[in-house]
Order: sequence, then C-alpha cells, then structure tokens
Amino acid sequence: MKSNKVVSLLKDLGLLLYAMFALFPLVWLVIISFKHDREMFNTTFIFSPTLDNYRVLFSSGEFIGYFVDNLIVSVGAIILSIVVGVPAAYALARFDFKGKESIAFTFLSFRFAPEILVVLPIFLIYQKIGLYDTYFGLIWIFQVVSLPLMIWILRGYFEDISVEMEHAARLDGYSWWQVFIKMIIPLIKPGLVASSLLSFIFVWNNFTFSLLLAGQKVTTTTVAMLKYVSSDTVHYGQMAAAVLISSLPIIILALAIQKHLVRGLSMGAVKG
Amino acid sequence: MAELILKDVCKIYYKNKKPVEAVKSLNLKCRDGEFVALLGPSGCGKSTTLRMIAGLEDITSGDIYIGDRRINDLHPKDRNIGLAFENYALYPPLTVYDNIGFNLRAKKIPEKQIKEEIHKIAELLDITDLLDMKPAALSGGQKQRVNIARALIRRPEVLLLDEPLSHLDGKVRQKMRTEIKHLHTEINCTTIIVTHDQLEAMALADRIAVINQGVLQQFGTPLEVFNNPVNEFVAGFIGEPPMNIFNVVAIMENGILHFKTENSLIKFVVPEKYIRFVKEGEKYRFGIRPTDITVCREDDSYTVKTKVSVFENLGEECRIHIRLDNDNILSVVSSEIFHFKYGDEIKLKFNPERIHIFDCKTGQRIEKALQMT
Amino acid sequence: MANVRVEGIKKSFKKETVLSDISFEVKDKEFFVIFGPAGAGKTTLLNIIAGIYVPDEGHVYLNNKCIDHVEPEDRNVAMVFEDYALYPHLTVFDNIASPLRSPRYKQPEEVVKREVTRVAEILKIDWLLDRNPSELSNGQRQRVGLGRALIRSPEVFLMDEPITHLDAKLRHQMRAELKDMQRNLDTTTIYVTHDYLEALSLADRIAVINKGKIEQIGTPEEIYYKPANEFVASAFGEPEINIFNAEVVKENTELKLSIFGRKKIKIPKNIQKLVAEKEISIVRVGIRPKDIKYGFIQKNENCIIGKVYSFEPLGAKAILTVQVHNQLVQLLVPSDSEIQLNQEIFIEIDMEKTIFFDSVGNNLLASYSNVERKGVAWQN
Repeated sequence: MKSNKVVSLLKDLGLLLYAMFALFPLVWLVIISFKHDREMFNTTFIFSPTLDNYRVLFSSGEFIGYFVDNLIVSVGAIILSIVVGVPAAYALARFDFKGKESIAFTFLSFRFAPEILVVLPIFLIYQKIGLYDTYFGLIWIFQVVSLPLMIWILRGYFEDISVEMEHAARLDGYSWWQVFIKMIIPLIKPGLVASSLLSFIFVWNNFTFSLLLAGQKVTTTTVAMLKYVSSDTVHYGQMAAAVLISSLPIIILALAIQKHLVRGLSMGAVKG
Repeated sequence: MAELILKDVCKIYYKNKKPVEAVKSLNLKCRDGEFVALLGPSGCGKSTTLRMIAGLEDITSGDIYIGDRRINDLHPKDRNIGLAFENYALYPPLTVYDNIGFNLRAKKIPEKQIKEEIHKIAELLDITDLLDMKPAALSGGQKQRVNIARALIRRPEVLLLDEPLSHLDGKVRQKMRTEIKHLHTEINCTTIIVTHDQLEAMALADRIAVINQGVLQQFGTPLEVFNNPVNEFVAGFIGEPPMNIFNVVAIMENGILHFKTENSLIKFVVPEKYIRFVKEGEKYRFGIRPTDITVCREDDSYTVKTKVSVFENLGEECRIHIRLDNDNILSVVSSEIFHFKYGDEIKLKFNPERIHIFDCKTGQRIEKALQMT
Repeated sequence: MANVRVEGIKKSFKKETVLSDISFEVKDKEFFVIFGPAGAGKTTLLNIIAGIYVPDEGHVYLNNKCIDHVEPEDRNVAMVFEDYALYPHLTVFDNIASPLRSPRYKQPEEVVKREVTRVAEILKIDWLLDRNPSELSNGQRQRVGLGRALIRSPEVFLMDEPITHLDAKLRHQMRAELKDMQRNLDTTTIYVTHDYLEALSLADRIAVINKGKIEQIGTPEEIYYKPANEFVASAFGEPEINIFNAEVVKENTELKLSIFGRKKIKIPKNIQKLVAEKEISIVRVGIRPKDIKYGFIQKNENCIIGKVYSFEPLGAKAILTVQVHNQLVQLLVPSDSEIQLNQEIFIEIDMEKTIFFDSVGNNLLASYSNVERKGVAWQN
C-alpha cells in the first residue's frame, strides 16, 4: 500500500515537471504581454503589470482589421473546402471509377511540397490574373491546405456507412438527395466537425501564403505580427498581446469541442 | 500416459482495477486418449482455460498436471502440448511443408527425419498434395488441416483445438468435423476442443464439459448431458432445436397431481418419477425436447389436444410449432413426415420418461435441488 | 395485390458475370424463396427487383407493368437487409417510423405513432423503442429491420437473408415466427437465403440459383424429392445426399446395378426401362442419409459391407459415416445406437428411395413421382 503512494507521488511529480516544461513559453508570453517595453529586458517575474500593450493594439483599430481579415479568409476557405470536399469524399468512397485511387492520392499530394516551394510561381500567376492581395486569392490558396485533410478524413467516414443503409432509405421513400441530407450528413458530423476545426487551425496559423500572396489590402494576424518589428526596436509587449489575442479563437474552439475533435479524428483513423 | 488434470484452477484478471473471475475453481480430469470438449457461450471462460493449459496465460491459483507432471510453471514449448489456433495462424511466406516442419527445425532435428515425419503426418491429414503450396492458396478447410498437422507434428501428449470449425462454412464444416472425429480415433491422443457450438461438441467429444460464467456446470458424455441435464442452462444450451422450457404449476385434480400451464393449454398427470418431488401449488420450469413429443391418435394421461400454429416440412424431418402464449412456442420435431397446416387439431403425447423438471429459482434439476436442501 | 416478373435479367460487375439470363414469375401473395450458395447472385437479383441496381439486360415487371425506369423510392417495395441497415443515429422508434415520415409515404404524426406501436407490439420490441440500434442484440436489430418493412403495406416484400446472422436456436424460433407472421401478412414476398431449412420451411415455391443461373424452380416438395440435378440434390439436406457411381449390368433380361463392386442390385422397373432406352452404362445414384439402413449381419444380397469411419451424435440423431470401398457414405441414425468405431457394418440402400442421375448429374427421371413414395405418414 505504501509503495503505491510513493509511485503515484512520483507520477504526479513527473507530470508537474512536464506541464511546467510544456507551458513555460505560454506563461512567458502572457507575462511579457503585460510588461512595458522598458521593463522587458531587466525584469523577469517581478514588474508592474500594465494593459498598455492591449490598449495600443485596440486603439489604432488596425489590429481588429487584421483579425477580421484572417477570419474572412479562414472561414471562407473552410466553407469552400466543405462544399467541394464532402461530395468529393462521397464520390471517392462510394463510386467505382477509373483512376479513383490516383485522384485521391493527388489530393493528398497537395500537402507534400513545402509551401515555400510553390509560393513563388503562384505569386507570379496571382499577379498576372489579379488575385494577388485579394480575399478570394487567399481563400483559394488556403483551400488547397484544408481540402486534402477534409477529403481523407471524410472518405473514411463515408466508407463506414453501409451502402445498404442508403438503399434502405431509398426504399423507405426518400430520394437520393433527401437520404444524403437526412441520413448521411448526421452520420459524418463528427468527422466534418473535426476536420473543419483542424483545417481551420492550419489555415488560421498559416504564414507563408499570407505573407507572400497578400499583405497590403488583406493582412492576416500572423503577418501583422511583423508590423511590431520596427526599424529601431521590437515591441515585444504588443507582439505578445497580439499573438495571445489571435490564438484565442483557436484555444476556445479547441477546448469547446475537444471531445468531438479526438473522437472525430480517431474514428476516421481506425477506418483509414 | 497422458492424463490431463485440472485441480481447482482459477483465473482472475483485472479490468478497470476490478477483479473479474474468468474461471472459478475448475476441476477436470481427462483420461488418456479421451476427446473432451469445453463448451459454453462466448465469454464463459473456456478459451481462457485452454490458454492456461497451453501456457499462454498465467494460472491465478490451482494446478494443471499432464500425467504426474505439474506444468504450471513450464514454458509453453516445454509442456509437450500441440495447439491448433482458431484463425489458423499459418506463416504466410512459408510453404505448407515448411509450416509443418517449422518447430521440428527449431528443435534441430535432422532434415531427413523431419521429411519423414512431415510426410507421415501429411498422409494422415490428406494434405500430401498441398505440401508445396503457400497458405494463401489454400481453402479454409485445407488451412485447418495444415494447422492441425502442425500441432500434431511434435507428437504432443495433449492436443488442443481452439474453435477449429468456426471459420468454415456449411458443408465444409460438417465434412471437417467428420474428419477430425476420425483423426482422433487414428492418433488416439488426449484432445481438448474449445467450442461454442453444441452440435460440434456433441459430435466430436467423448465427454463434454459445459461451462457458464466461469463455472463448470456438467461434465459427462454427450448423451448424458443431452438426456440428463443438471440444470436449466445445460438443458437449454444443448440440443437443436432447443428444449421447450416453460412455466407450469402443480395442481391437484381428482386426487391426482397434474402439471398445467397458466392458460391451461397444456395439462397432464405428473409422471411417476417426479411425484415425490412435486408439491401442490408450486411453480416449476418444465422442459421437454422437441423430439420427445410425438403426434399420436389415441388419448392417454400424457396426451394434450392442441392446434398447430406453424408447420414446417424440412425434408429429413418436420417441425410443428404450437403457440403457448405471447412469448413461448412449443416445438415438436418428428422424423415421420406429416402434412399439417395452421389451425389443424392434433394430439401430442409427451414421453413421461423424458420430461425434465427444474426448480423455478435455482434452475437446478428438481431431484438435485431437493437433495441439496 | 401484386405479381412480379423478371425476364432475361443479366448483370455483370467489372466483366464478371453475376447473373445470366434469369427469368421467373412470382404470383400474387406467393412466398417465393431464392435459394443459392454464397456468391450465386441472389442479393444482386433482389437489388435489381428493388431498383437499386440497373440490370445490363432484361426487364422487371410489377403487376405486368415494366418498372425498369422507376426509381427505388417509387416502386413501393419494402426490403429487409442482411445486415439490418438500420439508421444508427435514429432511435428504434424513428427507424421504424422512417417510411411513414418520408415524402413518398407521408402520414400524419399521430398515425405514425399508432402504427409504430402496433408493429412494435407484433414484433415484441415495444420496450426498445427509445434505444439506439447500437444498444440492441442482433436478434432485436433484425426485428427492427423487419418492423421498418412491415410498417407500410408495400406491394412486395423483399427479404435478404434476414435471419442469417442469428445463432441456430434463435433462427429456429424466428423461422417459426416469420412463418406465423407470413400467414397474417398475405403479401407477395421474395426471400433470399442460403439456408435450405429456411427455404423448405417458408417457401411456396423455391428458385435454386447457382453461379448466376437458375437450376430449378419448384415447390419445396419438388425440390427435395425431385431435384433437377446433383447440385440441387446436395444443396438440400444435411448431411448432404450420398451420390456415387454405379455400373449398369445385365442379368438375364433384367438390368441391375453394380455399386461398390457388389453386383446385381435390383432397381425399379421404370428406371430399368429408361436406362435401356437411353443405353446408359453408368448412372449416378443419390440416396439421402436417412434412407440408408444398417445392420451387423448380412440380411440379404443387397447389403454392402463397410467399416465405421466415424459416429457423431447430434442430440437425438447421429451421423454415422461408413467407409465403403474408399468412399464415405453418411447415414442418419438414432444417437443411442450402439456402434463401435472401425467395426464392420452392413448398409442397405433402399432403391425405391434413390434418385438416379446421368453421368453429368442431371436427374434421370422424376423419381418419387407418386405420392406414396414421399414417405407421408398420413395426411389430415
């Protein structure tokens, strides 16, 4: 009985150490977001906290604009991915056609090349056809990031649903479209939620594309961080505050639907 | 000299930190050369028992002996046991020949002797033609033969078969069953088979150990468990179609004890041998096998007049079903072929010698339940 | 009120022919069983009738109207699926109610409620209505699947191996329940199975199909007693019918058979006549396990000597396998028979009950043509 207690104590200690290690950067970020620039380098934990950084962030109104921009392109990309990805995944799961596996693989291969490799030609093309620095241009390129994920997760879900169930619903008197809306969509919902959320996180945090394919008229928060690096000094406090605020939506989302996320992803993974 | 003895064998494992008794104090004594079936529904502990004998699972308490050798702490390979796995577990890259010879080679036996042994066993199992093939090219029945050959090659003292027929279908299954039964008479090796299929157990085994929820219910020859089940579980588990079991009340009529169902659809005299056990006004579970009811024309104290609900002609036999109430149907199987239809009035004679009465609460056979108290 | 007719149905998947030229007619209110081994094309055929698959060639008629181009939801057929195909996200109640809530067969909600309760009571699942399919046993799921089909009155019921996944005892019970229900339903039903017991028990008529072709269509009695060929004969009955070669020998004016080297076994007159007419030298003799007798002494010249190969009691009955001339012959005997393994035994084949096939396996003639030979004890 005694040894059990020691073991569990050691376990807790280990976990505590790991938690400190993992959370330290975050804690540090929170701390510096409440520091004045002048206290930045000569204090560690003891300083006079201030909300100045946040005040600067919101008073100019600029940052809110970046935030909204980021929201528009991210949500836009996810909606586009859902509209394209759900039917595509269904087709890949249900229908037997020539080159099915090759197409599925092609979608996945979008994720193979490093972004930096493809961004230059895309930059040139975008300038030519006038998509550079537009909402649609960013949505279009972000959709390439989210679509493969969506298709591969949802395909597993569709394959899990028995074809007989669809047939049964047809014979019950529903048309194909009604079957899809009433029977199939509710069944893939966990997968849809999980893959949308994951895609949203990837897109929201994207830096390369946002930096090189936009930046003036349309600016995402990740790119906006650079604006706090001026020629003579770096406003670490403001930058930290901006980072915190822009990670808030993701943290809130992830916590709110953490359960669905894990279940949604693992269910797809078992099948795939 | 290869008796297999299990003495007070228990198996407790922990699930979510709660102890689960998978096998409760199991005592079994299998004679040399005997074919014993461990029979029970899934999760009853029969596979765990087999795995403990094979050494794949630790024994929580108790002892297992082969002959007078205690094998509890022996490594599986030193127990001199052959195990044929349920899913065949053949090595896919090796030919049938190499699959069978695998463990002889591991023992560093000269190649010439291995060859002889393999050919001998291949002939016994009729797989000589398959020796050069890879497992993937074999049918289910062939795989099972190879699997058994591999278990037999090391001349085990005890052969263990884990659900050998469960992955085969219909006709192949029945043929393989006949083959295994015949094989056992040829090799005459103490054999334990684990199965959930009572037909399989009946057909193959010399004696059947019926297990439920980790407890041995009955250990006897197929005909013993079929004709004299010790409790309602064994009665219902053995036999297909299953035994008709329903509630009856004992009543006194004209000074004679009668059994009757609640709705009086069935009523007849309590058979001689039960009279001293049955009390007036008590409820009992009444069991009779569908084959022990016959269609007859004359009346006597064991006949019941009733109406056919469903009639089935199945070629070899016909089955007559009578609806007793919402939940219970009385089935009658006759090898004489009749032609009845719904609503026909018939007379059924219950064979009084073959009626089973179980205690309502414990499910024990009435004779036994009374002895206990 | 519906009859179904299929004509010249052909279907292949990826160059693999699944069905070739299937035609039959199901009469109004008939219980029609499509029987065949796994992979025979039974389910495909049922799906074509339901409108889920489109045949490559051929037509489906419902009430003599061609329904080739009618969508499945408009055919007014109800189907029970092999793997139940329940809607996992809906409760049992909603599953059963689904047809009555669909745009095609819509009913007011109070009717839905009444009907679901009624059907659930018949199927004894009224206490499960609030559960999800994942919380049910296979037997219960199957009842829900059945309930979903029974809730409306379709023209035709299609059932695809509805009780295959149940264990033997539950199957025995469900078969009786189905048969009982069938009497009350009185609707044309097409039922697919690979279990010969289900086919014999339930069917008004059976279509035996194998490798996409129809082998025989007939009543259960015809199929069992007058099988068209060896395939049909061995598909019905367990243990399966014993079939072996026999040579035709002439003794004086009479034709006799030589089986297992034992000469001069008498055969019925009509067979003799047929054999003589067709000048056949080898016949295949089929005899069901329950029609062979055994004994330990040679009673007459028809007895054939053999050795007990195995003896498998199965409750009241037992399968006795006898080795005769390197062939195994199976008998159905009472399980309390005193039989020792490897002992000598004599078997006697009742030539009146054998089925004679020609060398390619087709039934030589409709044996068992007269009623007495069906072995009927008496008829009410």
